[in-house]
Amino acid sequence: MSTTPVIDVDRLTLTYGAFPAVKNLSFQVERGELYALLGTNGAGKTSTLETVEGHRAPTSGAVRVFGKDPRDRAAVRPRMGIMLQESGFSPDLTVAETVRLVGRLTERTDDAGRVLGVVDLTRKAGTKVGQLSGGEKRRLDFATAVYGTPELVFLDEPTTGLDIQSRDALWDAVDRLREDGSTVVLTTHYLEEAQQRADRIGLMHQGAFHREGTVAELTRTLPATIHFGLPPHAPAPPLLASRGADGKFLIETFGLQKDLHTLLGWAQDHAVELRDLQAGPTRLDDVFRAIEHS
Amino acid sequence: MLTIARGELIQIFRNRLVLVTALVLPAALSAFFITKHDVFTEVGSLGYLATLTLFFVAGIGLYTTTVTTLASRRQNLFLKRLRSTAAGDAGILGGLLLPITVLSVVQIAVILGALAAVTSTPADPLLLVAAVVSVVAMMVALGLATAGLTNSPEHAQVTTLPVSVGVLAVSGWVGLTGTGDLTLLKRLLPGGSATELVLNAWNGGVPLADSLVLFGPTLAWVVVAVALATRLFRWEPRR
Repeated sequence: MSTTPVIDVDRLTLTYGAFPAVKNLSFQVERGELYALLGTNGAGKTSTLETVEGHRAPTSGAVRVFGKDPRDRAAVRPRMGIMLQESGFSPDLTVAETVRLVGRLTERTDDAGRVLGVVDLTRKAGTKVGQLSGGEKRRLDFATAVYGTPELVFLDEPTTGLDIQSRDALWDAVDRLREDGSTVVLTTHYLEEAQQRADRIGLMHQGAFHREGTVAELTRTLPATIHFGLPPHAPAPPLLASRGADGKFLIETFGLQKDLHTLLGWAQDHAVELRDLQAGPTRLDDVFRAIEHS
Repeated sequence: MLTIARGELIQIFRNRLVLVTALVLPAALSAFFITKHDVFTEVGSLGYLATLTLFFVAGIGLYTTTVTTLASRRQNLFLKRLRSTAAGDAGILGGLLLPITVLSVVQIAVILGALAAVTSTPADPLLLVAAVVSVVAMMVALGLATAGLTNSPEHAQVTTLPVSVGVLAVSGWVGLTGTGDLTLLKRLLPGGSATELVLNAWNGGVPLADSLVLFGPTLAWVVVAVALATRLFRWEPRR
């Protein structure tokens, strides 16, 4: 099997007038990977994604998808499915008509009934799209993206507006796609989703990568945290702890296991209750917050 | 292209507003003209009546529906959705405009056929068909150009007025007064030479060579409109 990356972005720059939305960005996505493109609002992730999808021309730099120019639709689109951030369906067509129309235009073969089953919209097959809820439209969009099980799937904020059951169902469907070998590119505002599922993350800020790597690589540079509360008149904790406005203590540490042991031993010895005790590695949220301070 | 056209046809018949502007309105007006054909023949000629109905269908039905359809498909991001598939740009536009174009051509054929049945047959049917095709091509091309300046289907009610009213006015003017005076101006205005061509084809009495020249201005308008469209047309709404 060839080692060509599915997506190869080389020094991509995108400017709108004088405003640089993306600056000299390079990254690759390998076959079978789930790559999450994350960032603060206006970081340039939608511009980047739309260029990789082939909706936009780079101002400079090169983007290759399957080794080809993504704007060559006839060559690349049959191999990729796109879930747009805003659906863009005709309100006058029914759900089944929409899946068949968009599905047929991808030039892949599949059964409209099957993909509607995947997103639990079988009962809505005859309903006009204009009468669907926001979440149902997202699911319809996902159904059109995975029609014919493409090799590459773009998911632009796929779970926005979905309830928890639909969200779980969508991720189950993504897992099945990945078992079939599909590559997935994701943007999301739900950082837990990226943390749990992404093989690698590109974290964008002001048009460039703030960091790029696996979740572990991204979080490794920041300390782990221990949160807890103490009853009134408890003795001072054994480790250097800052105290928040809510009275809770926060310990930041690169030696989580050792410091947690110290803290628990101290609490045992002094018969102190550690209220709402939480300990864990840094989450992506914290990496995001750290962007603002850097 | 045919897949998109099929979806578009379904949408036309599900949307009452489009159905009324595209089909009912021009058909009703034409029916009115035909029933009162003796009055119009008195003022102008049978050819004049033919141009009136032709430009009502092409100028109101076809042209405004073209602009409204494209603006509305862009506004709700349907164009972007279609461009997210393997379909090419020409196939997308072709698919979106095929149904309304075919419906308009059928309408024109039925109306002019009815006119011929009620009155008398045109002197040169082939020339008439060619003239109709050139008008249809011009109105679709002008629709593509106008769609580039139109932000929403509501906005289309304003942006389509200059061309639809203009073409109807030119056609009425040329149809009633002929091109004896101000010849060049009347022929160069959009719809002017086409009107003269339809008059010649229906009423007869003009050498064919003199009529063929009249295709020039209409085809020039097609070229101008397509050139404008390629510069002005947008696939996504402004943000």
